[in-house]
Amino acid sequence: MNAYLLTGSPKGRRSASFLLGSILAEGLRARGAAVVEGMLHGELRSEEGTGRVLDAVDASDLVVLSFPLYVDSLPAPLTHLLERIAERRALAPRPGAPRLAVVVQCGFPEAHQCDTAVGICRLFAERTDMRWAGALAMGMGGSLGGDLRKLPGGGKNILDALDMASKSLADGGDIPGDAVTRFAKPLMPRWLYLLFGNLGWRMQMRKNKASRPMSYRPYSRG
Amino acid sequence: MKALVLDGSREGDPLTPVAVRGMTSALAGRADAVELVKLREVAVAPCTGCFGCWTRTPGECVIEDGARDLLRSYVGSDIVAYVTPVTFGGYSSQLKKLLDRFIPVLDPRFTIVKGEVHHLLRYPRYPKTIGLGTLPSPDPEAERLFAALVSRNGLNVHQTVPADVLVGVTDPESAMRSAARLLDRAGVAA
Repeated sequence: MNAYLLTGSPKGRRSASFLLGSILAEGLRARGAAVVEGMLHGELRSEEGTGRVLDAVDASDLVVLSFPLYVDSLPAPLTHLLERIAERRALAPRPGAPRLAVVVQCGFPEAHQCDTAVGICRLFAERTDMRWAGALAMGMGGSLGGDLRKLPGGGKNILDALDMASKSLADGGDIPGDAVTRFAKPLMPRWLYLLFGNLGWRMQMRKNKASRPMSYRPYSRG
Repeated sequence: MKALVLDGSREGDPLTPVAVRGMTSALAGRADAVELVKLREVAVAPCTGCFGCWTRTPGECVIEDGARDLLRSYVGSDIVAYVTPVTFGGYSSQLKKLLDRFIPVLDPRFTIVKGEVHHLLRYPRYPKTIGLGTLPSPDPEAERLFAALVSRNGLNVHQTVPADVLVGVTDPESAMRSAARLLDRAGVAA
C-alpha cells in the first residue's frame, strides 16, 4: 500500500501535526506500507510544489492529512489544496479511489471543536470520489511537545489510538471507533489546562519581550 | 453604520459575484457606507501559527500585508458579511486566508462561552457578522455544515451568527431579497 502523509501545519516538522502524523506513518510502515511525507505550506509556495502534492495524492492508496484547527476549520492553504484536488479530479477522473484519513488537533480542551473541520474533510472525500476512512480529533493540542510519553498518563491514549488507527488503515479498513474515542480523551482536567494555558501566554510574552499589554487594542474605534 | 463585505469568490465562479451584488444592494439601504473587498485581489499571506499577534505585538499580526488594513476595517465596521462559495461545507480558500489572520482581534486568554472554551474578547464590541454562501445545486449536507461553521465562528466573538446559502441563484434581485432576509435575521435595521 502506498500512503501519503501530508502535514498541514505552517510549522512543518516542528509541529504537533507532524508529530502525530509521523507516529501514524511509522505504524503504517511497520505494517508494510510505503509512506511518503510532505509539508504542505512549503510545497504550495510554488506551482511545481503544488504539482508534486497533487501527483502524490494521485499515486496514493491512502492520504492522511494531519493539521491544526484554524478558526473552526482547515488552515487556508489546506483548503486551497482541497479546491485544487477537486478541480483536478473533476477535469480528469482518476482510476481508483484513494482513501482519506485525517488527524486534527485544536488548542481548546474540547475535541468536538474539530467536528466542523472533520465534516469538511469527509464531505470533500465524498464529493471527489475518494473513500472516507475516518478522523482522529483531539483537544488540548497546546500540550503536545516533542515526547508524547512525557504527557500526563504517558500519552497512552494518543499512542494507543494512533497504533490502532495505523493497524486498521494498513489492513484497508477505517479508523476504529475505539481509536477515535481514546484520541479525544482530555489529557488533563479542563481547569488545569486553562491554568497552564493562561500562564503560558504570559510566559511567551515575557520571552518575546512584548512591548504592549496583552489586551492592547491597536484598532480601537475612534 | 459601516458595512464590510468580504468577497471570497474564486476565479471563474459565476454565482458568488451575484451574491455579492445582492448583499451590497441589500446593505445600501441600511448602511451609511459599504466597503467591498474582493479578496482574491488582495495579497494576504497564510497565517504562520507563530502567535506573535498575541505574544509579541498583541493585537497586531507580525506580517505586514493586506490583512492589516482589513483587520482595522473589520474592527471599525458595524456589520461584516462573509460571501463565499460553499466549499465542501466550508469557506473558499480566498475567504479563509483572511479569517486565519483575524485571530489578533481576540485576546489569547481563555474563557468559557456556552459551556466550551474560547478566547477572551479584545475589543468592547464587534461587528455583527453574517455568512452568505453559494452553491450551484442543492446540497443539504454542505448547507448544514456551512451554517454550523458560521455559527461556530460566531461563538469565537461570543455572538450568534446567522447564515444562508443561495442555491443556483443567478438573478441579482433574488440574491438581494435573500441577503435582506439574512440582514433582518441578524437584526440589522432597514
